[in-house]
Amino acid sequence: MSNGATPVYILVGAVLVLSAIMAAAGLGNTLMAIIVGAVVVWGGYKLYATQIDRKVIQSDARRATPARMYMDGVDFVPTSRNVLYGYHFKSIAAAGPIVGAITAGAVWGWLPALLWLALGVVFMGWASDYSAIVVSVRNDGNSMSATAHRLIAPRTRMILFVFIFFYLLLVAGAFGNIIAGELTKPTVPLGIIVLAIMGVVAGQMLYRMKLDLVLTTVVTVGLTLVAIVVGGLPGSPVAALFNGLNGAVDGPAPQGVFQVLNPLTGKMDPVKLSFLFWLVGGFVFCYFGAVLPIWRYAQPVNYIGFWITALTIVLGGLGAALAVFLNPKVGTFAIPAFKGFMGQAAAGAIQPLWPMLFVTIACGAISGWHALIGSVGTARQIESERDMLPVGGGAMFSEFTLGLLSLLAIATVAQGSGAPAFAKGMAGFLSVLAIPPEAGEPLASAAFVIIVITVVQLVFRVMRVVLVEALGDRAPIFRNIHFNTLVSMLLTFLLVASGTWIYLWQLFGGANQLMAALSLLLVTVWLVSTRRNPYYAGLPFAFMYLTTIAALLVTIYNLYATVIVPSLGQAGREFAVAGAGAMVLVALLLVVAALFIGYDGWQALQRYQERPPRVAQAPAPSQ
Amino acid sequence: MPESEDQPAKRSGLLGLLDTLREVMYGMASHDMTRHAIRTRASMEHLFILITMGDLLGVPILPPYYSLRLLPYVVPQISTWKRRMLREKDLTDAMS
Repeated sequence: MSNGATPVYILVGAVLVLSAIMAAAGLGNTLMAIIVGAVVVWGGYKLYATQIDRKVIQSDARRATPARMYMDGVDFVPTSRNVLYGYHFKSIAAAGPIVGAITAGAVWGWLPALLWLALGVVFMGWASDYSAIVVSVRNDGNSMSATAHRLIAPRTRMILFVFIFFYLLLVAGAFGNIIAGELTKPTVPLGIIVLAIMGVVAGQMLYRMKLDLVLTTVVTVGLTLVAIVVGGLPGSPVAALFNGLNGAVDGPAPQGVFQVLNPLTGKMDPVKLSFLFWLVGGFVFCYFGAVLPIWRYAQPVNYIGFWITALTIVLGGLGAALAVFLNPKVGTFAIPAFKGFMGQAAAGAIQPLWPMLFVTIACGAISGWHALIGSVGTARQIESERDMLPVGGGAMFSEFTLGLLSLLAIATVAQGSGAPAFAKGMAGFLSVLAIPPEAGEPLASAAFVIIVITVVQLVFRVMRVVLVEALGDRAPIFRNIHFNTLVSMLLTFLLVASGTWIYLWQLFGGANQLMAALSLLLVTVWLVSTRRNPYYAGLPFAFMYLTTIAALLVTIYNLYATVIVPSLGQAGREFAVAGAGAMVLVALLLVVAALFIGYDGWQALQRYQERPPRVAQAPAPSQ
Repeated sequence: MPESEDQPAKRSGLLGLLDTLREVMYGMASHDMTRHAIRTRASMEHLFILITMGDLLGVPILPPYYSLRLLPYVVPQISTWKRRMLREKDLTDAMS
């Protein structure tokens, strides 16, 4: 890696200088951030990623890929790089880059979030996604777990499954909280209810009535958009109806059913019955997605949701780019650049920038989930080895821009944080394109909920498969799809009821980043076993491994010091203690699993350094 | 990788850009749905081949008469079917 390192230093320097100018000279605005983003994407891809692809991996268009060798028309299908780029990006881009960026911006300010997004994707994110595809392509299209089983140790596969289950549980918990919080706003539920109905209608139109896709799209997406806007108009009868419903549900306990700590402000917030009502409502939405045939509900809902979120994000991105010229007030950053190393936290809690920032923003900078998906879905469709970088690396750099846009949305809003601030910021960007905020804000809110809820319904679907695989033989009741879906939802409910959302999010980030570390470890072992320079993957592995374990330990401390100890023995806080206790156990389990992986990885590295490698034979060039 | 003969030549200029955009949008919006439909059909077909031609994989099948009658229709899929049935799979494969 010594060759060609200078341009990378120049790139890092450019990013740091531009960011410092933005922060010091008060030039924090959307245009400057977009320039930083463009420098990162262009420089990272051209100056660094391409060098690794050519010099270390030595991708060769003449070498037959698994898609060409094992073409079966089902899993192994050579696919155009453009189609595959779109497919991979859609597979990896969900709520992670959005929620992570807006949470980190609120806790530490926009500058650390921007720098981690930029430097993370340049040095780690693309490397993890791209390399997972490379290792799979060079190992007969085997999944990450199968390759880890062979290259590192048999138990690594089992540990990966443990990671996957808890990752899914934490995703469901973190996102379930967001869904319930957003649905309690009276302007949001109509759009989501209509989305569910349109999902069923779209499935019927496409697969039963065999109607044209374009017609189906126009009807279902159009009606959903109308419902979102109509339901979101302030003072509309629909909003009044849902307001009345919330009031009626809260009636028996207007002060809330129990209290939970807000880890950012340190105050006790009430959990109202309307929140629990909409949490269950979100679960009902996801229940259908988990148990019905996928064509009947989950897939059409995702399809409609895709168009709504894509429309919002593309228009929002355009508005952010033009804001400085057309409406500078909208494009100027309103939150502080840096809130201090310890960030904003409740009394007694600690949120040190290292390591917590690096798990708060996961997707957008680096994510283990991408590697997992890339190794089983995308790698088996790669037509030429020269497509691995534009597909794997390109999609990751694109996800970085999604994280950046989310950061810009909350950075330009002076008050509030989280999802409401994101919706306000996006509505500001949309207003630059003459879309009134009365329509833009509900659209952004709905798009946000849609991204989250479509992920959660699939998460429950995968969780029930995991439960069948893990427990189906020992306890036959777990083979019942309704039972195992309800068990998954009950566990998720417990996590959400603890109320300490940010800790839940950081635990999810920890599980995700540990999976990324495992992926990078696997890549490092493979690079060593094939006598290639391992540093481009090995150094990010070491950083992510240590950082994530430290972040999990900090989260355990926060849960213990600010939730469990103050709540023990207090009436009405049993849920908070139980939820926090469950989170501590999950965090401890993840730390232990990480230690096993680290030990096994170290052993594997020693093994391959000491004796000639035993690697899968690379397929012969096709011509 | 040279283009195969049945693939249309790629267009250049603005039309090429539109083709690229169309492919990317298809990849984001519908490729997953297409893949799922193909996999569903393949699973059904492969299950059918398994219950009629399972002895090719060592699974004892009792009525060989019907197997022989169906054999000509199954021949084109045997190699794909064998590979898919015998390939090592784990939980992560269900996520693709």
